[in-house]
Amino acid sequence: MSPEHHFDLLQTRRQFFGQTGLRLGGLGLTYAMGADAFAAPSAQQVHPPLPGLPHFAAKAKAVIYLHMNGGPSQLDTWDYKPGLQQWFNKDIPPSVQGGQRLTGMTSKQARFPVAPSLFKFAQHGQCGRWVSELLPHTAKHVDDIALVKTIHTNAINHDPACTYVMTGREVPGYASIGSWLSYGLGSPSNDLPSFVVLTPNWKAKAAAQALFTRMWSSGFLPGKFSGVALRAVGDPVLYLKNPDGVSATQRRAMLDTLNQLNEHSFQKFGDPEIQTRISQYEMAFRMQTSLPELVDLKQESQATLDMYGPDVTKPGTFAASALLARRLIERGTRVVQLLHRGWDQHNNLPGDHRLQCQDTDQPIGALLSDLKQRGLLDSTLVVWGGEFGRTAYSQGTLTETNYGRDHHPRNFCMWMAGGGVKGGTSYGESDDFSYNIATDPAHLNDFNATILKLCGIDHERLSYKFQGLDARLTGVEKQHVIKEMLA
Amino acid sequence: MPPRRAHTFIIAAAILSLSGAVGHAANPALQFNRDIRAILSENCFACHGFDAKKRKADLRLDTAEGAYTAIKDEFPIKPGDLAKSTVWQRIMTTDEDELMPPAESHKKLTVAQKDTLKRWIEQGAPYQKHWAFEAPLKPKAANSIDAWLALRLASENQKPAPEADRSTLIRRVSFTVTGLPPTLAEVDTFIADTSPQAYEAMVDRYMKSPRYGEEMARHWLDVARYADTHGLHLDNERSMWAYRDWVVRAFNDNLPFDQFTVWQLAGDLLPNATPDQITATGFSRCNVTTSEGGAIDDEYRHLYAVDRASTLTQAWLGLTGGCAQCHDHKFDPITTKEFYSLYAFFYSSADPPMDGNIANTMPVMKLPLGQQQQALDTAIKAEAMARAALDAAAAKGKPNLEARSTSGETTIEDVLFDDTFPLGIEVKNTSRNPSVWDDKPSYGAKSGHRTLRLSNGHYCDESIDFALKPITLAKQPKLSIWARLDPLSPPRAIAIALNGRRFYWGAEGVMDGPQLGSASGQIHSGPLPKLGEWTLLSVDPTALGFKPGTAINKVSMQQIGGSVSWDKCSLTGTPMADNAPLMPFEQWWKSTNKKASPDLLAALADTFKAGPDAVKDEVKRKALSDFYIAVIARPFTPEIAQLRSAWEAARATRQAAESAITSTFVFKDMTTPRDTFIAERGQYTKLGDKVEPSVPTAFSPFIKAKPDARATRLDLAHWLVSAQQPLTARVTVNRYWQQIFGIGLAKTSHDLGSQGEPPSHPELLDWLAVTFRESGWNVRQLIRSMVTSAAYKQQSIITPEALAQDQDNRLLARGPRLRLDAEQIRDNALFVSGLINLEVGGRGALTYQPPNIWEPVGYENSNTRYYLQQHGPALYRRSLYTFLKRTAPPPFMSNFDAPNREQSCTRRERSNTPMQALQLMNDVQHFEAARALAERVLGEAKKEDSSRLAWLFRTVLARSPDARETTLLLEALAKQRQLYQADPAAANQAIHTGESQPKDIAPAPETAAWTMLANLVLNLDETVTRN
Repeated sequence: MSPEHHFDLLQTRRQFFGQTGLRLGGLGLTYAMGADAFAAPSAQQVHPPLPGLPHFAAKAKAVIYLHMNGGPSQLDTWDYKPGLQQWFNKDIPPSVQGGQRLTGMTSKQARFPVAPSLFKFAQHGQCGRWVSELLPHTAKHVDDIALVKTIHTNAINHDPACTYVMTGREVPGYASIGSWLSYGLGSPSNDLPSFVVLTPNWKAKAAAQALFTRMWSSGFLPGKFSGVALRAVGDPVLYLKNPDGVSATQRRAMLDTLNQLNEHSFQKFGDPEIQTRISQYEMAFRMQTSLPELVDLKQESQATLDMYGPDVTKPGTFAASALLARRLIERGTRVVQLLHRGWDQHNNLPGDHRLQCQDTDQPIGALLSDLKQRGLLDSTLVVWGGEFGRTAYSQGTLTETNYGRDHHPRNFCMWMAGGGVKGGTSYGESDDFSYNIATDPAHLNDFNATILKLCGIDHERLSYKFQGLDARLTGVEKQHVIKEMLA
Repeated sequence: MPPRRAHTFIIAAAILSLSGAVGHAANPALQFNRDIRAILSENCFACHGFDAKKRKADLRLDTAEGAYTAIKDEFPIKPGDLAKSTVWQRIMTTDEDELMPPAESHKKLTVAQKDTLKRWIEQGAPYQKHWAFEAPLKPKAANSIDAWLALRLASENQKPAPEADRSTLIRRVSFTVTGLPPTLAEVDTFIADTSPQAYEAMVDRYMKSPRYGEEMARHWLDVARYADTHGLHLDNERSMWAYRDWVVRAFNDNLPFDQFTVWQLAGDLLPNATPDQITATGFSRCNVTTSEGGAIDDEYRHLYAVDRASTLTQAWLGLTGGCAQCHDHKFDPITTKEFYSLYAFFYSSADPPMDGNIANTMPVMKLPLGQQQQALDTAIKAEAMARAALDAAAAKGKPNLEARSTSGETTIEDVLFDDTFPLGIEVKNTSRNPSVWDDKPSYGAKSGHRTLRLSNGHYCDESIDFALKPITLAKQPKLSIWARLDPLSPPRAIAIALNGRRFYWGAEGVMDGPQLGSASGQIHSGPLPKLGEWTLLSVDPTALGFKPGTAINKVSMQQIGGSVSWDKCSLTGTPMADNAPLMPFEQWWKSTNKKASPDLLAALADTFKAGPDAVKDEVKRKALSDFYIAVIARPFTPEIAQLRSAWEAARATRQAAESAITSTFVFKDMTTPRDTFIAERGQYTKLGDKVEPSVPTAFSPFIKAKPDARATRLDLAHWLVSAQQPLTARVTVNRYWQQIFGIGLAKTSHDLGSQGEPPSHPELLDWLAVTFRESGWNVRQLIRSMVTSAAYKQQSIITPEALAQDQDNRLLARGPRLRLDAEQIRDNALFVSGLINLEVGGRGALTYQPPNIWEPVGYENSNTRYYLQQHGPALYRRSLYTFLKRTAPPPFMSNFDAPNREQSCTRRERSNTPMQALQLMNDVQHFEAARALAERVLGEAKKEDSSRLAWLFRTVLARSPDARETTLLLEALAKQRQLYQADPAAANQAIHTGESQPKDIAPAPETAAWTMLANLVLNLDETVTRN
């Protein structure tokens, strides 16, 4: 290696160590910057954005995506259909059903009796949004929420629909929305992953549907953009903890030598990958400190803990995960996803939906309040929804007090709140049976295009070469940002 | 004389535009394939290409004819005349409405690209057919890999690097060929070998190793998307590891690649197909499948055929055929119709659209090994004979079937199960993770030779319903069962239940809770039995409120997590007057409610179902009562008792012989093919024209064995490996080049079509392709030619000039330097530590895995929801053999870029992340390996620290440490030693990581200090690099 070249490389390295503040043994305290964690992107970022991104200025700097896995019923939460009470146990008119595709679970049913929601709805907020009694805490925030009642998707069963809602395709192999955001925007945190996934536990008694790592994997994008699972059992991040009998001092000593030997190796081979590896080991070491600090909820005030509810102190609950989501974005993580299972109520929907909402409603309300109190809601986009909705007719036996609902991809509800969202709006209307779209359809890809837009990304210009095509989250068809949701 | 090849490469005039890898030199001679196609393909073909439906303004620019033909008196391209070439005018216009490519396409030509196009039109705009779509001819300018590379290097004024030293070479070869590092002895042998053939001899030693097939198979299994679960929804286990093992064998046997192709696509259609040839067809069954409750058959039948056709297109043709699923390919000559013609080969497959969530979704092939088939045949005969003897004894006796008493008996024993489940029962398991019969387990059966093992990560209940054999409680009843708790996977609680009421062992209250079954009554019966020992659990059913005479129709074994072996479950007591199964025959017949069990002989089923009131025929009644005496009722005579137990034993032996034989997914066609249609825009609900199986005709003629008959998969396979077919050989050698050198000659190894990157050395690729085909598709010879090339043997030092000129090392002016793959990294640690278990093949091994990888994602009832780690040697199997669950793959694999095998993958990423650092430092697998390696150091090296250090270093890196490395490592050792001497308890903890025990060669602090040092060396960049 020529001396000049070596000098250049050393310079690069010194700059790296010097300017990134490679904190040997130090705490990663990016979060001390609070709401400003996203303010000053610089060349020092471990997760830099793509050149030219964001495409335009945007308010949302971070995304918290709350995925209700299994398919929450729009009829029992957000899509108020008082007229259906008169239709109790009467068959849904064929003109409404319109020969739509049904799943194999109800396609052979002899009858399709309408099941009006058992839950009471009331109007909330300045906007007067009708919300089910299942969601008393979320209801307090309707003026910050932009609701869409006419989301539709292509898939009618869980596996393909889950894959679709997260990757824009029904079949495996494509990049998830979180990894797209992470790929495009990077993240300002040098101590934490840019895209974090939590899979909280749930209360519904019915067998919960599966999740798939492809819902947060990077698909065809480079692997480093995959979501990192933050875990409630074992290490918060895989392999984070030193083996028993290895202290932080020992790990630090080992790393010091490792870095020197790798540096020695770099001098010999000149491979820039060696430098990258040195920096990755340093980030790993920082994560060993930043993550335990992150998941230590004892630092939160009692008032905050109370707001999220009694479950918040139990690791792995939705409440604990929601609070962790706030702590993560506060520290500069770009995307946090909570995937809450157990929403697939083919029978006993009233009982199980009640349990599911007990898990989630108070923490979601608390999360919105908490973000707002800290001035973070303006820069954080909160997204709520499942992979599809549920049928107006009952699956299985309908009684005065009980019913089930099958999958319904033709219209369902999702909402957004926070960064750049026009609160208090509602987009689209379903028909009287919440079975078809009456006005303003919004395809899931439109919804995803809107998420990207709110994050400063033109969904047509964020692409990646895959199998000879410029693959995009929103697919090859023309998609439309839902402008009515934008502030 | 062969036609002059359109894309003959003029070396002396070469200009290279390899993704900026290589500097440009001014040169006017442009070539369409090399210089122009990529620009047009990227910017124009989407609207002006092969896809007629999307073509705008009737203009196509992918052919000379399209470009030269005037439309409305305007020439798109007028060769040599920029002013009259509309294309050029539209590119250069300042009018935004006129500009091409249009703004909404978000495509933009660079100044350099515009200049290139300008010069090309000026030079006459000559077209060439896409390089990969003409059959390769053997170019003659050179005759070896190195000669071709040298021509190119010379044209760039570059020189190859010197040969690497021997330590580097042997480690490079060993990893490339076997996926493992060399042993110290192998390093010493090679370094000491002064013969001129030393290198080749070393290569050949590795290529003859059975590890060669394993390393080669690994890469192909990515292409084949092999895994151990179905992949969709429940993602339950599937059994097709025999296919994986066949791939290993095929490479070790050096099966020629044309046969490798034919067997996998159509092995079942070969005359007198062998089990291996049929096993190989598993390739087309490796796709993900579903059995989701609401899933629609037609949809999945369509999706599977799409996957199979696309995988074939990618694996052999190196094209992204999946595009044509929805529309004519925009860039390559595959029409939608042709795609669906390929799809038609797979649309009539015999496998069902719903996999049934079972491990053996039909069609499968049983694969008896060694004496297994013979053993089964013998067992079947023995069982039939035993049954015949029992039936004969039952038929000849004329016991009083209405007798009610059992005079003379003081106690009775009803065996609920022992070596088999009794006849006519139904077994249900709440977890879909059924029990397993272990035959002659190492710890011995408590009764007979088989034991029933239940394993789970959470609560599970295995219930036996006695449909055909009603049992009633005797007086002073006692329920007994043997249990043995696996000390390595202890459950939290165990229970035995009768009719849903249970006795449980474990902490009091541990069985309370909503997700722990719904017992209608339960009694805490004590703490868990001692681990690893057979314990007789014996309880009094009356304690749970059962009265003598109660009909027992269900017995259940329950446990929370862990692994438990159960043996001989029985009910004893003193008989009551009407104690079944001594109940009168007629009463029994009535009591069964006419529910026929599958175990009931078919000949008796109608009689049985009709019920005693309906059947008057004495012969029929007699036949059923004989059956009752033979196998249902408690034996009437000592002879029947003896014959019954002989038959039960024979039945157990037959079942053991049957279940010992594995089965594997194979591909078969339906007897009558299903009509196949184009799915318009890829939607299975919108069927277009009907299609017949065929191939894309642009490439080479399709010759069917029977010209007038429907094309078969065998015709398809033969077409793929025919000499005229331009792609298979190129795609294959390119993929092997990528495997050996890290990057393909054509970088986009999955796409050699016009959207792919043109090859760095087109003539070398063609030369290799033809040489490979002419060698009889000899894979081993091909690999050998690459690893014995001078290019491969170069030093991998990256000079500043090289980094600037050729960052990706496309010209091979230096040796390849690559991060090891996921499997190699884990296998390396196991190998140098001596922990590795080199057992070949079999069901996927469940090695160490951090908690909560499967559980948070798995469907509640999936049999891969709860990860049940194995113990002992299974933990140290090669990574190739670890169990691969698609929806939650082993983190050690995905962390280092292994694909999840949900779809075909021809090229892995090589990422560099903090998660990898954490794994290598802290994963129990790696830290335990460091301990074992440390103990090897302490036991095998000379005693001085510096000798030990050198030994450690050489064992891992095949070279000695230099002075600086020695100094740094000695300092590190001193530091760790000091820390551990101050804290022996910590040292003791550290060396007890993992399940293998330290050998106590040195005091704990010393072993621990060396463990940290081994951990350090195993984390070196050089360690995880093929240098």
